[in-house]
Amino acid sequence: MVGQLADYIGALSTLLVKNKVETYVVTYNDSLTGAAEEASGVKVVRVANPVRNHIGVLTWDLTLNQEVERAAASIYYQADEQVDLIDVYDWHFIPAAVTLKNALNIPFVYSVESLEDHRSANSNTPYNMSIKSIEWLGFYEAEKVSVKSEWMRDEIVRIHNVPKDKVKVISPSADSWIKDVLQLYKTVAGGASSK
Amino acid sequence: MFTWEYPPRVIGGISPHVFFLSKSLAENGVKVHIVTCDFPGAPAHEVIDGVEVYRIDSYKNPAPDFATWVYLMNLNMQKEAAAIVNKLGGKIDVFHAHDWLVATAGIGLKHVFRKPLLVTMHSTEIGRRDGLHTDTEKMIHETEAWLTYEAWKVICCSDYMVSHVRWAFGLPEDKLVMIPNGVNTSVYENAENEDCEAFRAKYALPDEKIVLYVGRLVYEKGIHVLINAVPKVLDRVNAKFIIVGSGYMKEQLLNIVRSMKLEHKVLFMGFVDDETLLRLQKCADVSVVPSLFEPFGIVALEAMAAKSPVVVSDTGGLSEIVDHDVTGFKAYPNNPDSLAWGITKILTDENYKKYIRENAYRKVLEKYDWQKIAQQTKQIYKAVLGEYSKSFWA
Repeated sequence: MVGQLADYIGALSTLLVKNKVETYVVTYNDSLTGAAEEASGVKVVRVANPVRNHIGVLTWDLTLNQEVERAAASIYYQADEQVDLIDVYDWHFIPAAVTLKNALNIPFVYSVESLEDHRSANSNTPYNMSIKSIEWLGFYEAEKVSVKSEWMRDEIVRIHNVPKDKVKVISPSADSWIKDVLQLYKTVAGGASSK
Repeated sequence: MFTWEYPPRVIGGISPHVFFLSKSLAENGVKVHIVTCDFPGAPAHEVIDGVEVYRIDSYKNPAPDFATWVYLMNLNMQKEAAAIVNKLGGKIDVFHAHDWLVATAGIGLKHVFRKPLLVTMHSTEIGRRDGLHTDTEKMIHETEAWLTYEAWKVICCSDYMVSHVRWAFGLPEDKLVMIPNGVNTSVYENAENEDCEAFRAKYALPDEKIVLYVGRLVYEKGIHVLINAVPKVLDRVNAKFIIVGSGYMKEQLLNIVRSMKLEHKVLFMGFVDDETLLRLQKCADVSVVPSLFEPFGIVALEAMAAKSPVVVSDTGGLSEIVDHDVTGFKAYPNNPDSLAWGITKILTDENYKKYIRENAYRKVLEKYDWQKIAQQTKQIYKAVLGEYSKSFWA
């Protein structure tokens, strides 16, 4: 657990399973690698980075993505190539989502928790620009973008020039939360659009 | 096939290697699709001698340093290659990656499409740096280890590299295959009637012999050893040293030359066009490859194909290409005295020079022909496909 995202994904995936959506979570863990099934019925695959030494978060992230792809591809082939969509959180696994989309026609939703512009305000080093460019790639390749507030939607439109109707606001505190999520998934499932 | 360089983008030896290998594979009935980095003026897609070449936008993402750039470039390479394979209906038999520079693209696509991955290891970080000293070097080394782990077969260009790669990454013996690098002799044959005298006059005085070095100006290539041998050669023979290539040691080398007051004897040419390089190789009196670490030593082979006698350091792949006193002169590695001895011997003994250059040319024709190399590579592809067809991925 690094931030609040872990709890959020835990709650969301549990609710998805309750709503009869077969849900796999692919995530990072340095030691608990492999597949496991939670009591909730959520299937979790944890991967570690095969490269131990790194010069920064970027190289760590970019090498970890291949393991994420390996895990996701395994799920895809074991499910008889029936994966309706990928929901990817923040920039870290955008490279994997983009490859899986282009290779296997699996569409993805880009769920935005935060943006590099806010995390490192006024910082425009090549390192920040690089992360921003991965965010941009995610916005470009995603079928839909999911955010938790109208403010975030407006920020994404302002910073990355994403068309406003591509960004869906879903509030986790609303009563209709899971219904809204399922509604969004329904519009995205069924094959990626070509760019 | 994935490569970070393919003509006209030429940085080191991988570019010509992939060019001739893919061309010869195509001539032997293998359909090759190359995915490589872009280059100003080169089209995003073209067909060269039956080989499909795709050039990707390799500078799409800003990067803080070279290694991070490599991984970001791989992100784009993987994405675009995924779309290409998808367009081909997934009808690709094998992926073939060249060096760690395309490691993550190759590894990712292997798993996403569940196709076998082969890798050619042209070099290693631990060899290039003579050990692993920084986090960047360790990271690259581990990426190489990961790539060789994921590969079905690991191809190396010399027996030396087979044992080096096996040692560096602890690989099982049956995973490694030796297929030599090749050289295209026809380009040198076409330049057979070269008027060397007029060409030489551009670079050297009439009574000066020409000593040629072609390679990056970096530590592992041992160019500093050659520079230190310059005064030792000049004690015996009047010569001009022509240095082709560039690299981080350039300023340092220039300073050494200046301190020896030999600026008029050593000519740093930087990068030169292909035609000039070819003529230099044809017209040089001796070509020197003083490497400290050399997985293969393609420059020596090119010089031999150009019928230029060679002096090489007795290390790595060079030890296998050159037979001492038969196809060239082998000097002790990192030893300016030994190097100067060999250069002087060739420049002063016409019979010796003639003998080794004829032997060398014959060896090139016999052993380093691209057609033979392509056939060997095709056999490996077939063997891997045979094993793959029995796996649950097939």
